[in-house]
Amino acid sequence: MAKLMAPGGTMRMALSVLEEGADAVYVGVRGWSRRGADVELKDADLKDLVGFATSLGKEVRVVLNTMPRSSEVSLLLKKVDKYTSWGVRGFMITDVGCMAQVRRHFPEIDIHASVGAGLTNAEDVKFYKEMGATYVILPYRMWLDEVKAIKKTIDVGLEIFLFRTEDQGGIICPGKCTMSSYFKSEHVVDAEGKDYFYGSANRGGDCLRICQVGWGLLGQQCSSKKTILKGNPLLWLNDLSHYIQAGVEYFKVPGRDRSDGLVRDIVRFYRKVVDEILASNGHVVLEKHLPELHELRRRWAPERNRRDEGLVARAKA
Amino acid sequence: MLELATHVPNLRKLHECDLSAYDALYLGDFTCPLYSGNFSSSVADLRKGVQHVKASGKKCYLSLYAIPKDSDLPWIKDLLRESRDLPLDGIEVHSMGLLRIVRELRDDIPIHLGIFGNLYTHETARILNRYGVQRVFPNAELSLEEILYIKDHTPVGVILPLHGKIPLVISATCFVTEFAKIVPSHCEEACAQGHWLTHEEWQLKNIGRANVSGKDLCMLEHLDLVVRQGFDVLYIYALGEDPAYLKTVGSIYREALRRTMAGEEFCSPDWAEQLRSLAPIGLCNGYYFGTCGQEYVGRELAVHDR
Repeated sequence: MAKLMAPGGTMRMALSVLEEGADAVYVGVRGWSRRGADVELKDADLKDLVGFATSLGKEVRVVLNTMPRSSEVSLLLKKVDKYTSWGVRGFMITDVGCMAQVRRHFPEIDIHASVGAGLTNAEDVKFYKEMGATYVILPYRMWLDEVKAIKKTIDVGLEIFLFRTEDQGGIICPGKCTMSSYFKSEHVVDAEGKDYFYGSANRGGDCLRICQVGWGLLGQQCSSKKTILKGNPLLWLNDLSHYIQAGVEYFKVPGRDRSDGLVRDIVRFYRKVVDEILASNGHVVLEKHLPELHELRRRWAPERNRRDEGLVARAKA
Repeated sequence: MLELATHVPNLRKLHECDLSAYDALYLGDFTCPLYSGNFSSSVADLRKGVQHVKASGKKCYLSLYAIPKDSDLPWIKDLLRESRDLPLDGIEVHSMGLLRIVRELRDDIPIHLGIFGNLYTHETARILNRYGVQRVFPNAELSLEEILYIKDHTPVGVILPLHGKIPLVISATCFVTEFAKIVPSHCEEACAQGHWLTHEEWQLKNIGRANVSGKDLCMLEHLDLVVRQGFDVLYIYALGEDPAYLKTVGSIYREALRRTMAGEEFCSPDWAEQLRSLAPIGLCNGYYFGTCGQEYVGRELAVHDR
């Protein structure tokens, strides 16, 4: 059965997406997810959230998808131990070694191989299944045929983003970019000993969106032309019923670093569409929902731009 | 026994470059299978390349495409099968899926994990060792302290880059052909010229499907530290560089390593000047000393950004 998973960048956002019909909420915890601390929850909030979600019969997934230091692996295991004792049953993880250790020590929980693992083919999926992944998060640019083929041949759960790059240009591979920390990086170690790796998307600090500034080519005839280095993904709808029929388990709403109101409205929209698809056995006309989709995209863009501008300013400071 | 290694993309570069300073060569450009004559995608050229390298008494590794899609896997499998009789000393992979495939098709050969394999922890190195990985290229974001920990706490060998432009990002599409509106299959190595991307004070070098650091990693004046810490597989980044670069950098580090091992003064101002002259944007220490990648942590020589 297809489940809608939504972000909890703040406690308010987490509660509202569950109330709007998300089946699961995913949250980062301080220092351990591929976002800044401002969109990660404190442990105390996570504990309250798990209680709330459990009372509704819903799930909380905790994002522990940073690339840690070797010395931080034991900290990660302690985090998983604590959170499972509170009732968390699933974690997003990137690092292969961490994933294998978590699977070994916590055989009953769900592990989602994070998009940061940078999978590009079905053999990658098999590898992460062997590492203990229950679900594999496929990258934005894996299309329906590829998803169907994986689902048909590999016994692993799949999760995809309701967010993808329509334009084929600027396809930077998730998890394989260190441009941000090349220009700016700082170490802030918290009381538990976790380095927040400010400036490194892979390691837990915010990516400073170096790719989104206007880059020019030096010495070229078209030197006045500026370009971004990575295309921006968009919320999507086309083929959603086919992905559901293909057996994808989790459909993930993006936006941990967007406003609570926008994310709430996105969840409300996809809940309605997914329910229609499930009720009609896939025979639904999605075109009627396009105006609402376009309105959500229109609201998304300025929020993204504002956040990007702030991050780039921090990189230049 | 020290090993100094680098990458060579194709036969033309192999023949043009004076590679006498190097003990081992990774054959192939792992960023783009369309690169002309790429050893990573042309078994006929690979055969000639291996023969050439082996005739010069060097070790020889095959470097595979870093981010293969499912549609790439059949031709990569063919390459692996057809190169079975070649005296390769190892195969470099950056993809966990390809790691599985190489292990399945070539269980007789050591596997190396490339820089885009995202090796950050000793636990990952240990797991990969069970899959046949005998050498790892740590992610560029790791500090020397972290890399040393992995070297000392796992059974795998660790390769340590000493010099050159650090690969920062890899893409499934080509920036050069997109920007210049060239059909990718007709690119004729448009990327080989090197394209400098600029934004205000920031600069990166684009080589088609990858961006590398604008500044050159330079560990010349820290070479004694590297050797003292027991790193013995050392590397020069070569993506997008010309023959003169590879020759000059390789020969400087070869001699500097000899002197370091002999306990002699190993870093001359003349060498520092030569390395600066090859680095138009300046020098850096990457992430080795806990800074952002573009910083230079000077010690004795006044090697400043230009």
